[in-house]
Amino acid sequence: MNDYITLAHGAGGKQTNELIGGIFRKYFENPYLTADDAAVLPEIKGRIAMTTDGFIVSPRFFPGGNVGRLAVCGTVNDLACMGAKPLYMTVSCVIEEGFSIAELEEIVKSLAETAEEAGVNVVAGDTKVAGKGQVDGIFITTAGVGEVQEGTDLSGANAAPGDVILVSGDIGRHGGTILLARDDYGIEADLTSDDAPLNHLMEEMIAVTKDIHVIRDATRGGVGTVLYEIASESHVGVEIERDSIPVDPSLAGVCGMLGLEPLYLACEGRFVVIAPEQYKDQLLEVMRAGKYSANAACIGKIIPEHEGRVVVTTSIGARTLLPPPGGELLPRIC
Amino acid sequence: MMKVNQKALEMIQNYSGSPVRIMEVCGTHTHAIFEHGIRSVLPDRIKLISGPGCPVCVTETDYIDEAVWLALEKGCVITTFGDLVRVPGTEMSLAGARAHGADIRTVYTPLDAVEIAVKEPDKQVVFLSVGFETTVPISCLAVQKAKERGLTNFSLLTANKTMDEAYRVLKGSADAFLFPGHVSTYTGMQIYRDLAEEGISGAVCGFTADEILTAIAVILVKLQEKKPFAVNCYTRVVTEEGMPAGRALVEKMMQPCAARWRGIGEIPGSGLMLRPEYEDFDARIKYQMPHIEGHPNPACRCGEILMGKVKPFECPLFGKVCTPEHPVGACMVSSEGTCSAYYKYSI
Amino acid sequence: MCVGLPAKVVKMKNGTAVVDATGAKREISTELLTDVHPGDYVMVHAGMAIAKITADDQSETEEILAAF
Repeated sequence: MNDYITLAHGAGGKQTNELIGGIFRKYFENPYLTADDAAVLPEIKGRIAMTTDGFIVSPRFFPGGNVGRLAVCGTVNDLACMGAKPLYMTVSCVIEEGFSIAELEEIVKSLAETAEEAGVNVVAGDTKVAGKGQVDGIFITTAGVGEVQEGTDLSGANAAPGDVILVSGDIGRHGGTILLARDDYGIEADLTSDDAPLNHLMEEMIAVTKDIHVIRDATRGGVGTVLYEIASESHVGVEIERDSIPVDPSLAGVCGMLGLEPLYLACEGRFVVIAPEQYKDQLLEVMRAGKYSANAACIGKIIPEHEGRVVVTTSIGARTLLPPPGGELLPRIC
Repeated sequence: MMKVNQKALEMIQNYSGSPVRIMEVCGTHTHAIFEHGIRSVLPDRIKLISGPGCPVCVTETDYIDEAVWLALEKGCVITTFGDLVRVPGTEMSLAGARAHGADIRTVYTPLDAVEIAVKEPDKQVVFLSVGFETTVPISCLAVQKAKERGLTNFSLLTANKTMDEAYRVLKGSADAFLFPGHVSTYTGMQIYRDLAEEGISGAVCGFTADEILTAIAVILVKLQEKKPFAVNCYTRVVTEEGMPAGRALVEKMMQPCAARWRGIGEIPGSGLMLRPEYEDFDARIKYQMPHIEGHPNPACRCGEILMGKVKPFECPLFGKVCTPEHPVGACMVSSEGTCSAYYKYSI
Repeated sequence: MCVGLPAKVVKMKNGTAVVDATGAKREISTELLTDVHPGDYVMVHAGMAIAKITADDQSETEEILAAF
């Protein structure tokens, strides 16, 4: 096999088969992935959740992960937010001519390992090669299918006054890690991405209670954006306490240097969970026992007033508004 | 919960003297006051007014037009602090210019802009030198380093400003000022003693909730003495003498000039430009820039807002046409801007 | 006007210093300050140390408030 992807790898002939057999099939091996045109899957009981997502990240490899791992985390976490156990996913790659095959293999391997960790089978795939400069390295698109767990009713519209707001770990580390990995600002910090598949955590949480009102995956836009979405969809106010929001100290330092708000930095393995207050301690207990959620915390509650807004209790006990999300994130210096 | 100077807070909340207007001139103060929720703990008779201390907000439309001209007509790489990117020019902002193919890069420090010029010798790099006393020395240092390294592809587009003349223009807009903590690291305290001689009072203030409340309490006490005053309430950072080496560097490389402040107009001697010895690093001279006259939206009341004369809600554009996503005036663009702070934080 | 961040000086070389703000590190210029040493805290603005942070806390302020 050549060391670089060429247009011949996308032409459908011998080299395409070599690429698919030598890399994709090798790592994705499972009974549903065949050479046929579509995967035929067994019957699913109950309601089905389905999602799709695209993954473009620069740089493709970053401390704590890569675009392949991200593709699985993003897909299974979206399903988990609806109370669905992820079962199957598809992976479609558009690869730039000249892309290193060794790098591709590393991405696919990482994707397969993360899929295995999440317990999801990659049942169909597609590969296209685009001419040099037509895509930036590799674009991955996925679809995911999951089985909604019986008795759950999760929606961004279900938050009710009195509910508590939990986050499954310290926030914004993925966004901060990517920002530093791009090295535009000369800042160094010991940060790794928070990317993680959280579907097992979801199953443990609904084992505590099926009466969880909202689970949201705080990805692009961060926890702040998710809170504004929930406030708007549920027609309630959100009140959070500044000092209770878990932020890695190094990330806080980076944010201080660049004038960024950690609540608006992306996460790739963080749930925002909204549930009746009575379950707070039990939910925090299972979260803190989880592999990716040791720093889980209660950051606030849902309130009837200030509909559609996120209010912050400050360190002096005063109340102020969290500036609504908007615009490009730009480092603020003066 | 953070340690709060309980005595200061009690003095403020029990204040029963005559109504007091305190103006913060520093945009970082405006931002911190909202972020900490300071206004919500003040009694009605203490009013905080936001003045013209955000370098982005006081930047004229013309300046953005000049930067866009350099980017699009001259093909320069524009390096800038982040907030300036979205400030509207007459035709477009720098973000708009970028969409038209301009090379606009945000940097953390002008020293990084010099590094870009070193690494990309075939490109012409311009740094947008805005900012007050605190930021001027680092721009000068960048020029000094570019000169030492023999660079011919680095220059500044200056719009630097100094505060002292502005206080004189603003005299009477408030009973006392919260003087900007970080500008004062450069100026030292003498400037404020001179202002006190002229009847302009204030306290140099830090940026934590505690420091802001303490400075407000100090102002309340000193106002009752009915004598002009200058107090340093930020002694852990601001010294009596300030930064002599920084002032010497700026003095060597820059000279005062008249500067136009958005909405306020021209204030003689309130700007800084490179001295003739450094004109090779002055983008206006280097690129023989024509006179560019900007045309801001006539309904925008940024100027009066910056002077503390009207509140943002009194502007017809505020929150309707002018929002942080689609700013009309610079006060809505910068996260330090008065309009932006009111829009974003008002409960 | 001017965002400042307190950071600890980790090491120094020829007018530059590496500073650490709770784990975030950046090289900055210390050329315009005298008497800065590793271990000191400085206020950083736009890549430059603008002041050394001292323990001198609010002496004049305390006096004014105490007299009240």
